[in-house]
Amino acid sequence: MPLHRLTLFLVVIVVALATARTAAAYPQYQLARDVTCTGCHVSPDGGGLLNENGQTVAESTAWKDGDGSFMYGMSKPSWLALGGDVRGAAGFVYPGTPSAAAYPMQVEAAANATSHGFTLHVTGGFRSPQEGGSALHVLWSREHYAMWQSNPDEGKGVYVRAGRFTPTYGLRLAEHVVYTQKFGGRPLFDEAYAASVSYVDPRFEVHGTGFLHDPLAASVEKGDGGAGYAEVRLGSHAAIGAEGKYSRGDEQTKTFAGMTGKVYVESADLLFQAEAEVIRQHITIGAGFRATQLAGYLLATKPLSHGLLLDVGAGHYTEDTSVKGLYRDCLDVNLHWFVTPHLEGLLTTRVEVLDLGGSPSGGYALVQVHYRL
Amino acid sequence: MSIIMKRVWPIAFAIAGCGTSPDDRPPTFEVVTLTVLAPSCGQVQCHSTTTRVQGYAFDTVEAARATFNAGNLSLSNDNPESVLYQSGPNRMPPDSPLPDEDLALIQAWIDGGKLGL
Repeated sequence: MPLHRLTLFLVVIVVALATARTAAAYPQYQLARDVTCTGCHVSPDGGGLLNENGQTVAESTAWKDGDGSFMYGMSKPSWLALGGDVRGAAGFVYPGTPSAAAYPMQVEAAANATSHGFTLHVTGGFRSPQEGGSALHVLWSREHYAMWQSNPDEGKGVYVRAGRFTPTYGLRLAEHVVYTQKFGGRPLFDEAYAASVSYVDPRFEVHGTGFLHDPLAASVEKGDGGAGYAEVRLGSHAAIGAEGKYSRGDEQTKTFAGMTGKVYVESADLLFQAEAEVIRQHITIGAGFRATQLAGYLLATKPLSHGLLLDVGAGHYTEDTSVKGLYRDCLDVNLHWFVTPHLEGLLTTRVEVLDLGGSPSGGYALVQVHYRL
Repeated sequence: MSIIMKRVWPIAFAIAGCGTSPDDRPPTFEVVTLTVLAPSCGQVQCHSTTTRVQGYAFDTVEAARATFNAGNLSLSNDNPESVLYQSGPNRMPPDSPLPDEDLALIQAWIDGGKLGL
């Protein structure tokens, strides 16, 4: 390996001693580029490591040409896939008046070892100390699992996974602030110890997962339960999906149910994605309480020239359907710039309105930089 | 017609997210924590047991109780370190401030004697 590439790799690993958040992919490409997540990703539900086709897509959509493979083509055994992500954002949030903000988001490395359809996967990085700063929790592995797939060379068929990963649910957009993820069934860092079975096919896909919350470290998923997602493609340019999740914890149970829809308008190269969820919350301690929430999101995506991709999204969240005026809406505009197959800049903006102006409103304008090894 | 007025109309409003009634949520510590603080303030990257920005955690009742009982976060209305002040005049969460109804629920819990701490 050339010295400068080795230096870059080592710098990234050392910088990983800072903090880590999450890696995610671009469902904005589904239907427009590849029908399934496995068209570009190793994982059956997308996110994380890219496969060979995913790297080719990264090359074809970037503004500047380049080798999209790991470390620009670093030699490694064919059974080993390596990757990593560094991501951070800075800009302004709007708590009444603009306020400067910076967010170190993600420093993670990932590895896949595959042989005869069996895969061992680990994604690891560093995060801020928790529980008083125990070193045990500074270095962590967000994902680690074993997987078997029936057709390892085709990106379809049966996938069986066991380990620590995110139960498959919903649209799985990269932006974790999307209401259907932030308030819905797939929040940031909701990995759990789980076992899943998936069947992925160009015509449809089905995912079922049973999970237990992390017994060792504080985690977002605090309950045990199951999740399911099914999506049927209606021709080559449309899809409809159904989702469900149940989680029972020490303090509450939550039940999620929803629908997804995707339509690609080929003549305009425009992809629409939508998700709507009903969330039933049951507080089981103290005097108890039941509430129903609604979360929805509509996203339109348009590829532009020079590696640019424009997202316009609208979100709605009702905190409690029984209370008049207790809801919020948002308008998001995101401009992605894929500078090279490895480097992405993102201008992400949001305007949020509570109760259609009845309460204070918020928002942000941030520039995010993402480097993929 | 009466069935439509009594059943369909409230459901339609609920689906639209408008709600149909004034806020009758019980101002208990569990409801304040799990319906207001946890989803708004206790997101994983902020005041959660995972990250503990400023040492605060609101994503579970147990963690919120420990945060308040530690004494670093006042519940007084006019104290800049107050949870109400932080979520009101100081506009927390900064990108997604709490609605007036949630501030009123927290105030009702405080006025009721902060039961559950």
